[in-house]
Amino acid sequence: MSMEKTLKAILSEVGSGSAAVVTRGDYEAFKARLTGPKGSLTAAMRSIGKLPPAERPAAGRRINDAKGTVESVLADVLAAVAAKEETESLGPAIDPTLPSPDGGPGVRHILSQVREEICAIFRRVGFAVVEGSEVETEFFCFDALNTPPDHPARDLQDTYYLPREARMANVSRRGDERYLLRTHTSTVQVRTMLERPPPLRIISPGRVFRRDTADATHSANFHQIEGLYVDHQVTVKDLKAILDFLSRSLLGKEARTRFRPHFFPYTEPSFEVDFYSAHLAKVGAEWIEIMGCGMVDPTLFETVGYDPEEWTGYAFGLGIERVAQILCGVDDIRYFYQNDVRFLRQFSLHP
Amino acid sequence: MKVSLEWLRRYLDISESAEEIERAITFLGFEVEGVEKTGLALLENVVVGEITKSGKHPNADRLGLCEVITKEGGAARTIVCGASNYSEGDRVVVALPGAVLPGGLEIVESTIRGVVSQGMMCSEKELGQGEDHSGIMILGDRPDLGVSVNDVCPGNDVIFDIEVTPNRPDCLSHIGIARELGAFFRMPFAYPELGVAASVEGPVDDRAILREVWVKTPQNCPHYRAYMIRGIRIGPSPEWMQRLLIAVGLRPINNVVDITNFVLFELGQPLHAFDASKIEDERLVIRQALESDTIVTLDERKRTLDPSMMVIADGRRPLVVAGIMGSVDAEVDQNTVDLVLEAAYFNPASIRRTSRRLGLSTDSSYRFERGVDPHGASFAAMRAIDLILEIAGGEACGGPFVEGHPPLVKREITMEPDFVRRFLGFSVEDREIREIFEYLHFEVSERESGQGSRSYLVAIPTFREDLERPADLVEEFLRVYGTERIPTTEVRAPGFLDRDDLLTVLNRRASAYLLGQHFEEFVNYSMRSGDELTRWYSHAAAGALGLANPLSSDQSHLRASLVPGLLDNLRLNRNRGNTTVRLFEVGNVFRERDGKIWELNSVAFIMVQAPLPQTWLRRPPPDYYTAANLVRNLLSVTVLEARSPDVGSRIFKPIEDEDTWQPGHAAGLGDFVDGFEAKVGLINIAMLKRWGIEGSVIAGVVYLRPDFVRRQAPPDQFAPYSAYPSVVKDLALVVDESALAENVRRDIFQAAGEASEGAFAVESVVIFDVYRGEGLPPGKKSITFSIVFRTSDRTLTDDEVNRAFERTQKSIMEASGYMVRS
Repeated sequence: MSMEKTLKAILSEVGSGSAAVVTRGDYEAFKARLTGPKGSLTAAMRSIGKLPPAERPAAGRRINDAKGTVESVLADVLAAVAAKEETESLGPAIDPTLPSPDGGPGVRHILSQVREEICAIFRRVGFAVVEGSEVETEFFCFDALNTPPDHPARDLQDTYYLPREARMANVSRRGDERYLLRTHTSTVQVRTMLERPPPLRIISPGRVFRRDTADATHSANFHQIEGLYVDHQVTVKDLKAILDFLSRSLLGKEARTRFRPHFFPYTEPSFEVDFYSAHLAKVGAEWIEIMGCGMVDPTLFETVGYDPEEWTGYAFGLGIERVAQILCGVDDIRYFYQNDVRFLRQFSLHP
Repeated sequence: MKVSLEWLRRYLDISESAEEIERAITFLGFEVEGVEKTGLALLENVVVGEITKSGKHPNADRLGLCEVITKEGGAARTIVCGASNYSEGDRVVVALPGAVLPGGLEIVESTIRGVVSQGMMCSEKELGQGEDHSGIMILGDRPDLGVSVNDVCPGNDVIFDIEVTPNRPDCLSHIGIARELGAFFRMPFAYPELGVAASVEGPVDDRAILREVWVKTPQNCPHYRAYMIRGIRIGPSPEWMQRLLIAVGLRPINNVVDITNFVLFELGQPLHAFDASKIEDERLVIRQALESDTIVTLDERKRTLDPSMMVIADGRRPLVVAGIMGSVDAEVDQNTVDLVLEAAYFNPASIRRTSRRLGLSTDSSYRFERGVDPHGASFAAMRAIDLILEIAGGEACGGPFVEGHPPLVKREITMEPDFVRRFLGFSVEDREIREIFEYLHFEVSERESGQGSRSYLVAIPTFREDLERPADLVEEFLRVYGTERIPTTEVRAPGFLDRDDLLTVLNRRASAYLLGQHFEEFVNYSMRSGDELTRWYSHAAAGALGLANPLSSDQSHLRASLVPGLLDNLRLNRNRGNTTVRLFEVGNVFRERDGKIWELNSVAFIMVQAPLPQTWLRRPPPDYYTAANLVRNLLSVTVLEARSPDVGSRIFKPIEDEDTWQPGHAAGLGDFVDGFEAKVGLINIAMLKRWGIEGSVIAGVVYLRPDFVRRQAPPDQFAPYSAYPSVVKDLALVVDESALAENVRRDIFQAAGEASEGAFAVESVVIFDVYRGEGLPPGKKSITFSIVFRTSDRTLTDDEVNRAFERTQKSIMEASGYMVRS
C-alpha cells in the first residue's frame, strides 16, 4: 500500500474511531492504536526509512501533517472525555425541591427586635445608648429620683433586695444603702448625669424587676427603655415632638399621641402617653396607654449637680414587652419568657 | 374613689354629658377606671297615686283590688295588685296604661281573673331601683299626687371610679373633683355654706362633756380638735344622704355615722364620732399604744397594738386606732345621746406605718396617709355639726378642745408668665394663665419685676401641699389649659458626639454573629433556684447570690450563667415536639468571688450534638472544636481582642473540676476578674440527664466585665507584609498524648525563630494533622506542622531555609522530649 493510502486509512480511522471514545480507557486504547508503539501512525513513520531517499522529504511532510491532525483530534477527544468525567464527578442532578439539612435563619427574640428598633428610632435623632447594672442601690433607684423614704415602691413587698451583708464588686454605692434589683432604668440616667456634664441625649434600654407574681400582665423581670434629654431651653413642646416622632416611626405616619397629665416623683409636669393608630384600632381600644414622660424635676438636677436655672430636660420611659405586645398582638406577657420556638419564629419586625 | 355626678352638682352647676366629664377628669390627670350610670330612667306615665280603697279580688284569694287616684279629686281607677304591704291612704307609684317600665314591660289595661286592671302599682324592682320585690313601693314622704316618678325617685346619676394620683390627696373628695372640673370647664364652684355651727368655734365652756384632751404624742398628732354635742337622736339619715353614700359604695348606718362619712367624701377630711357616755374618765388621750394594748376594731377583729401606733384613748383604754378605725367600745349606737366629734391632722407617715403594720386600710387612713388639708379640720367639723344639728338634733356644747396647731403650710410662689411660655415652648396669654390659677383657687397678685415685665405672686391654698416651685405651677396651668393644645412640631436634634455604649455595640455584634451561624435567641428570667446554683456551681455561689426577699424558691437567686436557662428552653421545646438545635442568650449574670458579687455581661450558646433531627443528607454533628471556634470568633467580631492584646494570646486550657462540664471535653480561657472569661465544651452528661435532656449538648459561654468592654481601643494600624514568596517546611513530631498542641506549636515557633538567626522570619507555624495509632508507641500521638519562612526584602534560598529547618529539628529534639517523625 502506498504511503498515501496508508495515511488516508489512518485519518479515516481517526475520524470514525474518535466517535466511539467514551471513557478514559477508550481514549487510551484509541490513542495506542494510533500513536502507541504498535500504533498505525507509529508504523507509518517507521516506514519512511524504507522509501527511496528522494521520496522521503515529501513523505515526511505528509506524515507530519497527518500526525498534526491526529494529535489535534486526540486532544479534542481527551478534552471531551475529561469534561464528561468532570460532569460525572458532580454527581446526579440536584432535586431543587429537596430541603436543605442545614440551619435556618437565626431568629432574634422579639424583645431584642423591639429594643433595637426603638433604639434605632432614637438614634436617628441623636440619642446614644447607655447601659447600666441590674443590681442597683436604694440611692440610685429611689432617693435620687425623689421617691419619698416611706414610698410603697421601696417595700420588701414590691422590690427585690439583696441581703444586708451582700457586697457588689462592681456596683458603686453612695453610702451603705441597700442593694436591690432596679425597678426602672432611670438609675442609668442618674449615674450618667453624675458622671457627665450636660447636654445629654441618652437612651437606656435594660432589664428591670418588680416583685410581682407572674400572670398575663406581670412578670418578675421585664424590659424598659428610658430616654433623657438635657439641654438649654428644652420645652414641653420638644417632649411632645419627640414622642410624636416615636409613635409615627413605630406605627406609621398617621399615628398620633396624646398626653394625659399624671404624677411621677421625678418629673414635673408628668404625663402618661397614649398612642393611636389605625393599626392599633384593630387590637380593640382606640387609644392605648404606652408610656410615661415629663419634664425633669428641678430637684433631680440639684441632686446630680446640674444647675436647674440653666438646664431643662425631658425624660420618658416605656416597656419593651408592652410595645411588643401591641405591635404583635401578644395577649400574655409570659409568652416572651416561655420561649416556645413556635412563638419566637413568628416575628420579624419589618423595616 | 367613686364620685357621684349628683353629688358634684351640689357645688357645681355642671350640665356637660357623662362622656365630656369623663374626658375632663382624664385630661386633668386622673385615671377614670369606670363609669356607671345609675338611677331611674326617665319614665312616662308613671306617677304618684294614692290608694283610696283596698279590698280583695273577688275571684282570687291572693290578689288585692284597689281604687287608686292620681289627681286630687280625680276619678279612681281600679288596679289589681299581687302585693299586700299597703293600706288605704298610702301614696304609691302607679304605672298608667301606655307606660313602659325599665325592664321593657308595657302597661296596658287588661283583664285579670275577670276584673279590668287599669294600671299597675310598682315595686322597687319593677322600677329598676333595687332588688326589693316583696311589695310595692310606699312613698313615705307623701309627694303630691300626679307628679312624675322621676321627680320623686332619685334621678339619673353617673358614678365615676377615679384613680387619684398620690400627689393629689385634695381630690379624694367631691369638693376636690368639683374644683378641678370647675377649672376645666371654667365654671364657678361653691363650697357648702356653714350655718349655725359657724358659732361653735370658741372657748371651751362649762357645758363641756369632756374634762380634758391631752395630746401626748404631738409629733404624730400636730393638731387635734374635739367638739361636743348633747342630746342628739340617733336614727336613719335622710334619703338624699343615704342615696349619695350608697352611690359611692358606702353602707348607711345611722345619721351620725353617715354624716361623718358624708363629710369625709365631701371634703376629704376624716372625722370620728364618739359616744360620749362610753368615754371613761371624761378625757381623751392621744398617745402611742402600750405594748399590752389591744383593741377590737369596728370590723370586729381583735388587734394587738404596739408603741409604733398612735391611739385615741380614754382614761383607761384605746378607743380608736388614730386616723384608721374606731373600736366597738366607743361606737355610736342606737342609744347614743351625747357625742364627741374629733377633727384632727395626723402625721401621714405615722398613719401609713400603722395601717401597713395592721394590714388595715380605711377611707380615713387612706386620706390621712396621703395628706389631708392641714387647715381643713375646723371647717369639716363645723360642716358636720351643721348636718348633725339639722338631722339628728341636739345642741353644741360650747367651743371645742383644741390641741396643737395646724402645720404652717402657707406658700407663695413667684413666677413670671414668661416662665410658663419658656417652659412650654409655645405662646399662651397672661390672661389665660391668671384665669386658670384663679379657677384652681390660687390667689394671684401681679407685680412689676423690672424692665416692664410682670411677675405673679401666687398664693397656694393649704390643700395643695404638692405645689412648691414655678415648674409645679406650669403643670397646673397645662392640665387645665389642655394638653391637647400642645402644638405638634418636628424634633430639634442637635448633633452630639456621644456614641452608643460599647457594651451595647458588643452585644449587637455578638448577636449578629450567632444569628448568622443559625442560632436562635432566647430570653430567660434573671432569677433561678438556689438548688440549681448549688448543683451547677457551689454552695458558696448559692449562698452569695440569694435575694433577701424572694417570692418563690424557684426564683430565689440571681443567675450565675445563662446556660441552665437555655437548657430549660431546649427541654421545653423538645417536650413540645419542636426542633431547635442552636440556642443563644445575651444577658447579665452574677458571679461570686472572694465574698463579693460581680455583675457581668454574658453571651452564651448551646448546640445539640445528639440526637440531631433526621435529615436526608447527613452533616457531621458539631463538637468541641465547632464551639471553640465560635467562641474565638465571638471574641474577634466583638473586637475584644483590640481591648486587650491579652485576649488573642490566651490559650484554652482543659477544665477538669467544674460540675457543669464533662471532664476531658471542655476548656476555659481567661478569668472574668481580669476582664473576660470564656468556657466551652460538652455539658456534663450526668448533669444533662438529671436535667431531663437525653443525648449530648455542647456549650460556649463568654463572661465580660462591662468596664473592660468599655475600654477605648485604638484604631487598627496597617502592618506591611512581604512581597516575596514564602518557603514552607513540614515537620511531624511524636509527642505525649497529654501534650497540648499549642504548646508544641509555640515551641516550634520559638525554635524556628532562633534557627533563622535573625536573617529571615518565621511567619507562622500551622498545625495541619494529628495522628494516633499504627506506627506510634502507645501513649503517643503525632502532630504535623507547616512552618512558613519568609522575609520582607528578598526571595529566600532553599539552602538557607534547609539549614534553618535542620537546626530547628535538632534544637526541638534536644530541648524537649519530642521525636521527629520521618
